[in-house]
Amino acid sequence: MDWLLDNILSLAIFTPVIAGVIVSLLPADEKTITRYVAFILSLVPLGLVIAMWFIWVNNYRVDPTFHFVQQVPWFPAIGASYHVGVDGISLPLILLAAVLTPLGILASFNIEEKVQMFMALLLIMEGAMIGLFAALDLMIFFIFWEFGLVPIYFLVRIWGGADRVYASFKFFIYTMAGSLGLLLSIQIIGLSTGTFDIPTLMTSWVQLHPDTLLGTTGLTLSTVKTLAYWAFFIAFAIKVPIWPFHTWLPDAHTQAPTAGSMILAGVLLKLGAYGFIRLVVPLFPELASQTAGVLATLGALSIILGGFAAFGQWDFKRLVAYSSINHMGFVVLGIAVYAYVYGVSGAPNDALRLDAIMAGNGAVLQMINHGLSAAGMFFLVGVIYERTHTRDLKKFGGIWSVLPVYGGILIFTSMASLGLPGLNGFVGEFMITRAAWGAFTGQIALSMIGLLMTGAYILKGVGQTLHGPTKPEWLNLPPMTMIEHLVIWPLMVMMLALGIWPQLMLAVINDTVTKIIG
Amino acid sequence: MELLELLTWLIPVGPLAAFAVILLLTAKNRTLSFILAWAGIFIALVLSWIVSFNVFGDFLADGHAVAEEPVRVHSSVAWLPIGDYYGDPQGSAFAAAGDEAHGAEAGDHGAEEEGHHGEEAGHAVVPDETKSGTWFRMGVAVDPLTAVMLFMVPFAVFMIFIYSVGYHNFGAQPGKFLGIPNHGMEEPMFSRFFALMSLFGGAMLTLVVADNLLLLFVGWEIMGFCSYALIGFWYARDYDSPKRLSPRRAAVKAFMTTRIADVIMLLGIVFFYRTFGTLNFSAAFTPESFQNAIQATAFGAVGLGLMAMMLFSGAVGKSAQFPLHVWLPDAMEGPTPVSAVIHAAAMVSAGVYLLLRIFPLIAVALEAAPGFGWTIAFIGAFTALMSATIAVAQYDVKGVLAYSTISQLGFMVAAIGVGAYIAAAFHLITHAFFKALLFLCSGSVIHGMEHGAEHVHDHHSDPQDMRLMGGLKDKMPITFWAFLIGGMALSGFPIVTAGFWSKDEIFADAWYNFLEGSPVGLFVFIMLALSAFLTAFYTTRQLALTFAGKPRSPLAEHAHESNSYMTTPLVLLSIFAVAAGWFGIPDNFLGTDGIFYNYFHHFVGATLEESFHVLYELHLIPHEIFTLPFMIVPLVTSLVVALGGIYLGWVMYARKPLEEGQPDPMIGILTPALHNFLHNKWYWDELYQAVFVRPAVFFSEVIAYELVDRTLIDGILHLVARTIFGVGGYVRRFELAVFNDGIDWVKDRFLDLSREFRTFQSGKIQEYALLSVLIAFVFTAFIMLVNAGILNGILN
Amino acid sequence: MIPLSWYLLVAAALFCIGLYGILARRNAVAMLMAVELALNAVNINLVAFWRYGNPSQPVGVAWAIFVLTVAAAEAAVGLALIISIYRQRDSVIAEELDILKY
Repeated sequence: MDWLLDNILSLAIFTPVIAGVIVSLLPADEKTITRYVAFILSLVPLGLVIAMWFIWVNNYRVDPTFHFVQQVPWFPAIGASYHVGVDGISLPLILLAAVLTPLGILASFNIEEKVQMFMALLLIMEGAMIGLFAALDLMIFFIFWEFGLVPIYFLVRIWGGADRVYASFKFFIYTMAGSLGLLLSIQIIGLSTGTFDIPTLMTSWVQLHPDTLLGTTGLTLSTVKTLAYWAFFIAFAIKVPIWPFHTWLPDAHTQAPTAGSMILAGVLLKLGAYGFIRLVVPLFPELASQTAGVLATLGALSIILGGFAAFGQWDFKRLVAYSSINHMGFVVLGIAVYAYVYGVSGAPNDALRLDAIMAGNGAVLQMINHGLSAAGMFFLVGVIYERTHTRDLKKFGGIWSVLPVYGGILIFTSMASLGLPGLNGFVGEFMITRAAWGAFTGQIALSMIGLLMTGAYILKGVGQTLHGPTKPEWLNLPPMTMIEHLVIWPLMVMMLALGIWPQLMLAVINDTVTKIIG
Repeated sequence: MELLELLTWLIPVGPLAAFAVILLLTAKNRTLSFILAWAGIFIALVLSWIVSFNVFGDFLADGHAVAEEPVRVHSSVAWLPIGDYYGDPQGSAFAAAGDEAHGAEAGDHGAEEEGHHGEEAGHAVVPDETKSGTWFRMGVAVDPLTAVMLFMVPFAVFMIFIYSVGYHNFGAQPGKFLGIPNHGMEEPMFSRFFALMSLFGGAMLTLVVADNLLLLFVGWEIMGFCSYALIGFWYARDYDSPKRLSPRRAAVKAFMTTRIADVIMLLGIVFFYRTFGTLNFSAAFTPESFQNAIQATAFGAVGLGLMAMMLFSGAVGKSAQFPLHVWLPDAMEGPTPVSAVIHAAAMVSAGVYLLLRIFPLIAVALEAAPGFGWTIAFIGAFTALMSATIAVAQYDVKGVLAYSTISQLGFMVAAIGVGAYIAAAFHLITHAFFKALLFLCSGSVIHGMEHGAEHVHDHHSDPQDMRLMGGLKDKMPITFWAFLIGGMALSGFPIVTAGFWSKDEIFADAWYNFLEGSPVGLFVFIMLALSAFLTAFYTTRQLALTFAGKPRSPLAEHAHESNSYMTTPLVLLSIFAVAAGWFGIPDNFLGTDGIFYNYFHHFVGATLEESFHVLYELHLIPHEIFTLPFMIVPLVTSLVVALGGIYLGWVMYARKPLEEGQPDPMIGILTPALHNFLHNKWYWDELYQAVFVRPAVFFSEVIAYELVDRTLIDGILHLVARTIFGVGGYVRRFELAVFNDGIDWVKDRFLDLSREFRTFQSGKIQEYALLSVLIAFVFTAFIMLVNAGILNGILN
Repeated sequence: MIPLSWYLLVAAALFCIGLYGILARRNAVAMLMAVELALNAVNINLVAFWRYGNPSQPVGVAWAIFVLTVAAAEAAVGLALIISIYRQRDSVIAEELDILKY
């Protein structure tokens, strides 16, 4: 038991990988067994993460810094070690990844081709995501960062829709392009400080004198820092994605299989935003603070143009994909405020400090909220696609009369995505709007156009699908299956719970954010 | 007091629980569903009235105590953690700092601690809030304004619930078609209807009891969703005429139009929060808090005025004021009980209620710059007059009522614009009663007409068209009398009806405002007087067209009175439509002294009396709460416009009722062009369609997606990709030429060589042996020669 | 006593005859016999060197007996192979047995 508790975080990272290997070794014709084995194995990391959650809530709220820490020398020659740990920012995201993976597996029970490989990829990706959220060493971070790319590439490439080759290629190359700069910058940081340890770097790298010459290059540290900052910025901006780096997302989401879209939208997009909070802001506080206006403007543009572009779609899945850009724009705005205050020189005044706490809280909470609602929306689009074999909104119509339960669930989830108060989406949006009002009044005011469009595209999706006279070709659609209900109900319960009582999650986030802002 | 707090918390719970239970558990059982919905709202009604009468009792017992402390019931819970993490060793230090710096709901810590310990205890997960620093607190509060709303809202909603059972033909044969009206048959989505109505009621009650803007906004938005779901309740319905908006599009229109207002309101809320440091009404609207806030914003009091305007925008959308009024007439596409609940008890009242709730802020805005007052007053008065003119030229029985709603809400908003806080609240309450009554009556009429349509198998005539009615007085007597009472109240028929007293108070306030030297008062007075005249006229017209004369179509011929589920609420509401006004007769009516007591004025006035007194002393607001002197001009005006309008309507429509096929005399008087202009609602819909909707769609589909994303950004990406591909192509050709072909050449030469040499491999053993011998001989010879020293000369 | 070189000359002559037989004869059996001749030339050398070298140690004789034994075994295996080839291809002409040709 002690051993379990000591290694619980590493276990949570590696059990999915091991489970993936086990699943991939199952015989190819045992599809049903494979599905159930994969599902049951994916509950193991979920159990571990839930245990961590409760241990945290009961013990560590007093001191919300990194816990469950493990540090093992890994590559001593370059100063890299296997260093993992979680705090109140990463723990909710780990929980999100651990929750969405079993649901994604359940949602893919209808996959018939290469079941073993599909399930194995999903499980391996879970390991990579949890590992990334837990990484406290830049090299480990980067390894998990790249590692997470591979499964989703294959998920899109093999099980995707008609245009999967283009979509997977675009996604992979685009993200890799960002990673290059990231890797280079990580090397530069390692070279200048001799360590890759994030908690150490947060003081040592930040405090290096700006005129320090870097190695034999003759470049001063301030130049190098600027370059590294923008490399980090672009790498994470592509992943979030922030406008105008977003065009890979609609393609990848639209072409991915249902579970792939769920995980992609639910967790993978958060890796970028998490990168901003965990690395960009603490490692480049002054730069991040000076350029927070850029980030906020891009966030506002994501919200507005994402909203408009979503409204312009006639492919349901692409509409939902664009909604991710719209919603992640709020996360970016929150991060901008957080960055603005975190790196401001001198002690921030109380009003700004409160803004930053709200912004940090709101950004992390909005990530969770978007993870839940986007996963739900993609799943529901998958459910209807399964039955009608189309995603064209013009071809739907009147499906509510045929599938009343599905209709109710779709409306519920859509409303969560729209940010209806009482459901989860609203809390994050409110906090971010509140936080951004002080520092970025113009941007947040303009973002309201995007929030308006959120309503427009959500209603368009719901209306075109459910409302109207039932078209004769949809009269005999089968109702939702038990497994489909099993996927969506946990998500709906969480959406409602977080909407009514957000402190269930926010308490943990708030502790750490407040501690960081100080 | 603790019990009252608990009861206040429980007010919205009943309907909300009914919503959840009906949807999740009892949707299949219609009877159980509607009984649950009834039970939910009835519990809310009982609780509301207990709380409401308690507060009123306090007022009757000691009016000054209520004025001293208007928030009679208050309780809140820690809802959203915002800083100062749990368990900081200097717990006490940050609690104080938090309150000071972030304005965290100071003052009520003590009060809610007792109320909330119970809930938190036994919950190891949720920290003890007293130690955990700054929280955003959600709570309920009841002051006199809330109390009068709590008196009105659940009662009106409950009446509508009773009525709905009959409206949806409970007990008849169940209808077969989902999403369209099944005339004469029981609505197949009966349970769903009651679930959504319960959610609607619950949301409105949440909004009313909210002690902060955020909780108010929660209820506000949920109502927006409910209105969307209920306006589009018959989601599959389509009309033959393309000009008529289908319910589902009306629903989207309602949601989107109000959402325009809501997002601005959300900005107003965050502005409010950042400036005041709290969203709690009673904490924010103290004189000290105002003084701090004025220093905190960049523009001082004008900044607060801007904030008030942002919040006012929300009310403009929700209460359907110009320029966002267009959604409300189309909201008639929902079932009539929905129209009633939207137009009377809940949705539109919420907008005005918001203005009343934040009235201290608006009062500061009125004092800060005259422009704010003008804006509010102009929007209200213009809306009132404009929609009154439109209502004159409508034929849809619900359409007239819809525009009258907009018009009456304009009265309230205009009243707010001249600072007539109590008059607006009073009109809100009386209007809710008689408008709910009128809508239910019109529903009853439509129901009767639909029955007639079923009877004669006519599915093309519109059962809502007043031109096809007439003579329903004898066929539907209860509905007629109820409609008459409601109509007279709406017209402001003197002395007896509630509408007279509330309108009269608005007139008096506006006139007094003018006498004090403000031109806004005169503007509002004239505009509202004209509107009131038109109101009386079109109401009489409607009554006459519907009930007088002989039936003008077979539908009306075969109409009959509705069932008792529908008529009972009519009777009950009629009582309130008349009697609600008697609580607001001015103290000094006709110069008397001591005969009348304006309960409403003093009770609701107590909400702000004390704080306004201080604010007035600080010159932050134009005037404090006071009792108007008796003035003859507004009274006469009010009598003249009401009676004049009724008389004109009677002359035109009732004295000689319309015959079948006879055109509306109005067309002749107004000229067809003007009539068309009014009938088509000033063409606002067409204008908005051209100016906003189509450009938005165009921008979304063509610019944001096709141009920016697909062409520009993806174009750049593809350009990069293509460039790399191009460069890669050249590299590939270079590689092909140099590495591929070069290495192939070397390989080929080796091949040729080996082809030459392979002849050695003859397979004949003797050749191999011979070769071996020869080689052995040569080597031996060589070695011997070396040993003999013969080769020394060569080797060295 | 006859000088050693005489023996060596005889042995060399015998070896050359054997070598010639191996290289020149077409019949594989004859080639095998020529191999025997060459082996016996070696034996003569072994015995001669033993006798003129260090007669107290019978190493050379022992080697000669070894060679005889091996030659006998070799003849047996060789003949068996030749018979097997003959069965397959109806010929024992060495030139025709060129299946290992390129």
